[in-house]
Amino acid sequence: MSDADGDLVEIESQLLDIVAQEGMIDRGRLNKDAVLLDLDIQSADYVMILMAIEEKWGVYLPVDEDLTEAKTVGDLVELVKGKIVEHKAKKATA
Amino acid sequence: MFPTLKRQVILEAAPISGADYQIALSTTNPRFQDRVSAIAQIAAGEAIDQAGLGVADFGERCAVSIGAGFGGAQTMDENYHRLLAEGGSRKIDPMCVPKIMTNAPASWIAMKWGIKGPSYCISTACSSASQSIGLGAMLVASGTVDRCIAGGAEALLVPGVFASWEAMHVMTNDKCRPFSRNRTGMVLGDGAAMFVLESLESALARGSKILAEFAGYGTTNDAGDLLRPDRDGAARSMRMALDHGRLEPTQIGYVNAHGTGTIANDLNETLALRDVFGDRFAEMLISSTKPIHGHALGAGGALELLITLKALEEQIAPPTINFIDVDPKLGFEPVPNVARPFDADVVLSNSFAFGGVNASLALKRYEA
Repeated sequence: MSDADGDLVEIESQLLDIVAQEGMIDRGRLNKDAVLLDLDIQSADYVMILMAIEEKWGVYLPVDEDLTEAKTVGDLVELVKGKIVEHKAKKATA
Repeated sequence: MFPTLKRQVILEAAPISGADYQIALSTTNPRFQDRVSAIAQIAAGEAIDQAGLGVADFGERCAVSIGAGFGGAQTMDENYHRLLAEGGSRKIDPMCVPKIMTNAPASWIAMKWGIKGPSYCISTACSSASQSIGLGAMLVASGTVDRCIAGGAEALLVPGVFASWEAMHVMTNDKCRPFSRNRTGMVLGDGAAMFVLESLESALARGSKILAEFAGYGTTNDAGDLLRPDRDGAARSMRMALDHGRLEPTQIGYVNAHGTGTIANDLNETLALRDVFGDRFAEMLISSTKPIHGHALGAGGALELLITLKALEEQIAPPTINFIDVDPKLGFEPVPNVARPFDADVVLSNSFAFGGVNASLALKRYEA
């Protein structure tokens, strides 16, 4: 496993921690296929999750089309992971 | 934009310029007023002048109904800063409470023109002004008063409020592009707009120039999610305004949409508009003017009703600027980028707020 892959695994795990904590959901229920609606994640929970992401990685994510398309925990994690990586790359070149 | 903010991600806003605020404050009473009351008073003065009214025309048979969201935001912000960041080293403005209270704009207008009937301040976020105007019209229609000054004022572009909105993650760092593909959120703004609502008898008796007939008011509550808009709540609001005015959807020539530019509102509002206008939806002229004046929350409904009134007068639907392309999920063009003429007697304006509060106002061309 390369360092970059290791980073991604770490980000993924930290993201799940955030979703569990801010969404007040048992971490054990957060598997990739879990449907966000079924987990009763409300609009206000999204705001809390996005704020926690911003605090941790410094990346501002508006509630945009991609985000509202996320149906499962896996979708959400993949999307946010992508944006964090993008943000890190941008910061590295800036 | 705000030097005191250590970190500011969003850089777009629709402010009132510092020079204009200076003008507003120089003609009002800044020692006792936040700038929100100053702009409210300026706007009310313009409306009262245009209506040909003066202090002698108000009194006990008149009401004031002024919406506001954040009240005296600048006063609150500056004084918290003194208290916290500067360690309480500078004294708190003794006029903090009367400057900050959300009903201050209504009271200042009442005091200036001697309005001694009911005074209301509705604070329902983005629906504050529309509900204030709706309530004012009901007070006149019920015969409780002969006249009502109604509208909204908001002066929220200060570091604390801006940072709070940033934390909601609904503001765009691009441009506000309501209903467009690739829209990423809203742009906050300051502003104030006021109307003189008057009974027909009173307006005719004094030979006043009648700008339009207030034709219908609808307001509903979602009683669902605090933040996520509700299709049914929005549709019921529009239908209620139409029913109230005994109007048919086919009479509506233009709709000034709430159209914030957020994913959630614009999708929800489009679905609700389709529900209300059915087969006619495709040919309707519906636009959002928020990319021009910004989302002025507590003043939003008043600014937009003013635009809706001008649209009716001139029979021109203002465009949704910054529009890139049709969002396939919405499948509609909200008068993209270029104004379009129409021929109709009735127009509608929507406001949908956090808290699940919806309000719709209908205006009709007045014919003597």
